Amino acid sequence: MPVDQPSAASDNLEVADEVTEPALAEVMRVVPLGAAVLAGSTVALLVLGYLAVYLLVFLPRGPVG
Amino acid sequence: MSDTHPEIHERRILWTELLWAFGVGIFIAASLSMILFTALTRDVNPPSNVERIDPKTLHLSGEFAEQNLGTTVGSDGSVTVRAIATQFMFVPHCIAVPQGRRVTLRFASPDVIHGLLITGTNVNTMVVPGYVAQVHTEFRRTGDLLMPCHEFCGLGHSEMWATVQVISQSDFKPDADGRAVCAQR
Repeated sequence: MPVDQPSAASDNLEVADEVTEPALAEVMRVVPLGAAVLAGSTVALLVLGYLAVYLLVFLPRGPVG
Repeated sequence: MSDTHPEIHERRILWTELLWAFGVGIFIAASLSMILFTALTRDVNPPSNVERIDPKTLHLSGEFAEQNLGTTVGSDGSVTVRAIATQFMFVPHCIAVPQGRRVTLRFASPDVIHGLLITGTNVNTMVVPGYVAQVHTEFRRTGDLLMPCHEFCGLGHSEMWATVQVISQSDFKPDADGRAVCAQR
């Protein structure tokens, strides 16, 4: 690419999607739910792992202090 | 379609974030309650003894002198173990403890920082020169447990380990001085 050629990123028409407000709203109606399900199930697995180690490994090893 | 109005979506996202924050708050409160409950009812606490001792003279007199090392049963029935962690051994090399009784473990170091854990238990502490490391526990199963040094203390670190011999109540018989030693096997 010649050095004097401007970057495509300098032109909004080249990089920005043409998204209408209703179309964006329609997408946003679904996206937070998916993110919540993904984040929720991931954190739930982490919490279950923590609880399993705490209840099945740590506590049966007896008192300490 | 009123359902797709941006303000409604912003409110929905805010609601989702609040719900998430509420869930995280519930989890934090539940885990803190669980830790507090087990601390109060099951005697599970982080060891927090702070006690100074002179590392240069601890082997000359006092509770860590050679004749006092090992397991001692007090007149009140309390079981106390005293051991020295030094490069590159624990003294004594085998520690006899009774099963199902509260045991107080006390360690001191005359040289560098050591650490120890007892396999299959929650005993895990550092042994810092100048301080007495004290841990209370109760051994639930009989058998020989490995007690390695888990803080790199020099070239012989990997050879530094001891055995904790957990003996059933009926077989745990201290002598007239209240001293208990490992059974020969």
